[in-house]
Amino acid sequence: MRTPAVPVRLGGVTKRFGAVLAVDDVTLEIPAGLLVTLLGPSGCGKTTTLRMVAGLEHPTNGRVFIGDEDVTPLPASNRSVTMVFQSYALFPHLTVFENVAYGLRIAKVPERALREQVGAVLELVGLPQVGERYPAQLSGGQQQRVALARALVMKPKVLLFDEPLSNLDAKLRKRVRAEIRDLQQRLGITTIYVTHDQAEALALSDVIVVMNLGRVEQVGSPFDLYRKPATRFVADFIGEANLLPGRYAEGMVTVGPYTFAFRQDGVHAGPVTVVARPETVQVATAGQGLPGTVRSAFFMGTTIDYLIETPIGEVSASAPPRVTGMLPVGSDVRLQFAEAGLYLLTEDGR
Amino acid sequence: MRGGRGRYGSGLPVLRRGSMARVLTAPAVRPGLNSTLLAWGALTFLGAVSLPWARPGRELFTFSPEATGAALARTSPLMGAILLTALLVAAAGLVPWATASRGRAAIVLGALGTVLVAVRLFGTGQPFSWGVAAAALGFLAVLGTGLALAGVLRTDAFIAGSILWVAVFVAIFILYPLWTVLEASVVVRGRFTFDVVRETLRSPAFFLLNNPATPRNETAVALAAGGIVTAVGLLLQAVQRRPARGWLWALPAGVGGFVLTALYLGFGALRNSVLLAIVVGVIATALGFLFALLGERSRLRTRRLLGPLSILPIITPPFVLGLAMIYMFGRRGFVTYQLLGISTNAFFGPLGVAVAQILAYAPIAYLVLQGVVQSMDAALEEAAETLGASRWHVLRTVIWPLARPGVANAFLLVAIESLADFGNPIIVGGGKPFLATEVFFAIIGRFNPSEAAVYGVVLLAMTLSIFLVQRYWLGRRSYVTVTGKPSGAKARPLPPALDYAVSAFFLGWMVLIVALYGSVFVGSVTKLWGFDYTFTLEHLRSLSPTGWKVFWTSTKLSAYAAIPSTLLGFLIGYLVTRMEFPGRSALEFSSMLSFAVPGTVMGIGYILAFNQGALLLTGTSAILIMAFVFRNMPVAIRAGVAAIHQIDRSLEEASTMLRANSLTTLRRIVMPLVRSALLSGLVFAFVRAITAVSQVIFLISPQHSLATTQILTYIEYGSQGRGAALASLLTVFMIVVIAALYAVNRRLGAETRREMAL
Ligand SMILES: Nc1ncnc2c1ncn2[C@@H]1O[C@H](COP(=O)(O)OP(=O)(O)OP(=O)(O)O)[C@@H](O)[C@H]1O
Ligand SMILES: [Mg+2]
Repeated sequence: MRTPAVPVRLGGVTKRFGAVLAVDDVTLEIPAGLLVTLLGPSGCGKTTTLRMVAGLEHPTNGRVFIGDEDVTPLPASNRSVTMVFQSYALFPHLTVFENVAYGLRIAKVPERALREQVGAVLELVGLPQVGERYPAQLSGGQQQRVALARALVMKPKVLLFDEPLSNLDAKLRKRVRAEIRDLQQRLGITTIYVTHDQAEALALSDVIVVMNLGRVEQVGSPFDLYRKPATRFVADFIGEANLLPGRYAEGMVTVGPYTFAFRQDGVHAGPVTVVARPETVQVATAGQGLPGTVRSAFFMGTTIDYLIETPIGEVSASAPPRVTGMLPVGSDVRLQFAEAGLYLLTEDGR
Repeated sequence: MRGGRGRYGSGLPVLRRGSMARVLTAPAVRPGLNSTLLAWGALTFLGAVSLPWARPGRELFTFSPEATGAALARTSPLMGAILLTALLVAAAGLVPWATASRGRAAIVLGALGTVLVAVRLFGTGQPFSWGVAAAALGFLAVLGTGLALAGVLRTDAFIAGSILWVAVFVAIFILYPLWTVLEASVVVRGRFTFDVVRETLRSPAFFLLNNPATPRNETAVALAAGGIVTAVGLLLQAVQRRPARGWLWALPAGVGGFVLTALYLGFGALRNSVLLAIVVGVIATALGFLFALLGERSRLRTRRLLGPLSILPIITPPFVLGLAMIYMFGRRGFVTYQLLGISTNAFFGPLGVAVAQILAYAPIAYLVLQGVVQSMDAALEEAAETLGASRWHVLRTVIWPLARPGVANAFLLVAIESLADFGNPIIVGGGKPFLATEVFFAIIGRFNPSEAAVYGVVLLAMTLSIFLVQRYWLGRRSYVTVTGKPSGAKARPLPPALDYAVSAFFLGWMVLIVALYGSVFVGSVTKLWGFDYTFTLEHLRSLSPTGWKVFWTSTKLSAYAAIPSTLLGFLIGYLVTRMEFPGRSALEFSSMLSFAVPGTVMGIGYILAFNQGALLLTGTSAILIMAFVFRNMPVAIRAGVAAIHQIDRSLEEASTMLRANSLTTLRRIVMPLVRSALLSGLVFAFVRAITAVSQVIFLISPQHSLATTQILTYIEYGSQGRGAALASLLTVFMIVVIAALYAVNRRLGAETRREMAL
């Protein structure tokens, strides 16, 4: 059985802190039951947006809807929303059990039902044995899960995460992130997740909202964002990308002296920015292609990363190691672009 | 961890996979009534209808059946309207309205009720009684609830109501008394006039520069001194080839030279107080800095004594040092007469007061500067040294510039204390006029409240400007804050020679302090100090009954006052650090104001404000309690702010998101986390109240006399032995209380540490 999941909508939401415009006219639909990530560089307004959904911050302009209800005037305590904080915010003077039971006690849930629910949720997050301990007696990963349990036990309509993994080491981060994903899919709660780590966002999300300078740059699935970034910012921020100046005309793309066939619907003839992921740049020593010289080469294990100087600027390429080994620095090479990894941005792509 | 067996039974229920379903069933109940409004409406009505609205005399705890709301409503339509408003509030809680409309109704009713109560109270002018308090607080709570419900204040009813209550209390017990002092200085017998101001400021008791009895012309000398300083300043600037900026420094220096010379040559209360404040401020700050260096950078054991030293001025009733000075250095002083064989009055007057104040306030400077020295980043010094700077150079170019704001801060704090001090000048002042004592003598000796008010305003103007400078100018300039992050670099120890020198000096200091305190203890069991040193218990015995009675009254009232002043202080601390609301900084400023207001000024303010009419409070113990509460509240606010800053804000947010209202969050999250700070606040509020004198000296009445004022009476009227006995008793009691606090806090601390960090 699942709680009927509800969508979250932001309508023209703006937040100012004095002179700082933290969130600038954001309109957003977060579909019911999905995990949506707010992704962007530090200070772009992710946390502020999340906190406005939580009710911890109130928009200067615009409205917030949870389901059909306009919750803009409601305080955080009346929103059926819970949050997992970056610092976990576990109450240090209460045991794990009491931490998780905190909200239920406030809701005056009878003792028996309360124990049952707390037990169930602790089991759900895989920590059935730690109820009597204090938060300081848990590892970082365990604290994280207690924080999650405390948020889940309230049966929120919407679950919020603000960079919940930033205090964990790299290995644990991967594991916990998979667990969060798994749990969210099983429970089907509408979830908003803030991170500035694009790898985390790609691995975790149904939908990613890329933010920059308080505005939404692009909304889409991880795959779409990677393959079809709407702006230079998105192309640059998600994954690595070569952004090359070029021209497009009737199914032909020209970068520098090199022209090749490539068709993209909806692109008019004229100047374009060619987005080429490094792993789709093919490095050859002869033949057709953009001419260049190897400036540096690093052996990375699964790939060799080259930095190649061309007439239109530096291009990075990740090539699979060849039997013959690495190309020496200074080699003259020809670059070609695999059609599957190419994307054209027209000039309005900022 | 608490309780071996655990509070939740033997273990948690074991659940299978189906647990998820149970986790996810969401009930949401939306009641059609608002219990907060309903409750406040009912309480307000019940309080207003059953409690008396006026009282026949001063006594607060009287019940006059003819003055209850029910009785009054029969003849007074106004009272009828008040009761009706309360009923309407309850009704507004009952009807199934939308939140916002209910909020607007509550705003209207709450505001209306508050206004009606005020009209009723000040319209009749009869001394208020409990009905007024109940109705006013009730309607304010309703107004607060309304503001929260309607979304005017983005917070809940508890916080909104608290803000209003706190604002009203601060207005009545801090701002209004100060206003009456201002008013009294220019309104004499109902007429606006500057006559008293002019007369007072011109009187030689206030300030006299040109003394006709001396042949020289002091004004001319002072002007000359100012001119010389200016000239020298300009000359120096010229030599350093910076004449362009010369005036910038030379002129203020010249003015300073003139003022200092004028003060030095002049006479009167202004001169004595200001000169005293400067001298004591400089010396106490220097000593405080030395002690702070000792405490933070010494390798010797001596530094352990600094802790007790810093507690001393707080636990000491204000006359103890003064009395000790008389015992040791007075006309028949132990040192001066017994040991050196001189009988002198030299110590009575500014010199004696200065010594007593330095002894008392150096610890204050130490406490301020301790934080400064502590947070001074040792890495900076190391960096400077690696750049090849000598130690002296490091001191001059790194340490001093960093410490300068803190040093200025310590100086200003000590200066405020010195200006406001009442106890020492009155005991060892030798009859010389000081601003704080003139306030007292104008009212007690010359029965001239207007003159007292003028002195009060002058004193207030000075302490307040120092307070403002300290808060707004220094506040922005301090590089090292108390909460500054330590860098991990080990503090550099003092060079051994300096270490030994400072330690030796400090030991001498401690010996002096111990001797002084000891003399009071010995004095309390000595027949007649200076003449007959035989042992006697007569003084202690003669404390019965008066001495014991006042001791008990002091203890009782201080305990009553400690609780509200701590809770109120922490609440205000919480409001101003964590909440955003219109008037937040005004509230913070006015509640911290009594920090800067000298006790005697607050004292006349209370007398003038609460001596007649609707707010009559004088002659009751309540006015003493209120004086204590609002006097000590700023300390609690500071403690509260500091403690709350230690708490990660997201803890409170997490609590809010789990549907807790702010009262619950305060009770269940904030309070437990600040409990040891809260306990300390409580004890210090108690101790400060019990040792207070200047703000209550006008407010005591025969039935409600206090230990400190009784000590003063004993000393002034010749039974020094008895004064010493009572003072010793009080000091010992304070030491016991503080020691108990430390013991409890250590246990609390240990327990907390066990709970929180393993
Ligand atoms: N309470 C506040 N007062 C003033 N400015 C604020 C406040 N909170 C956030 N800001 C400002 O608003 C902007 C957006 O902040 P926000 O915390 O939303 O960024 P973020 O995207 O979460 O960044 P990060 O990844 O660093 O957490 C920043 O410029 C920040 O300085
Ligand atoms: Mg953030």
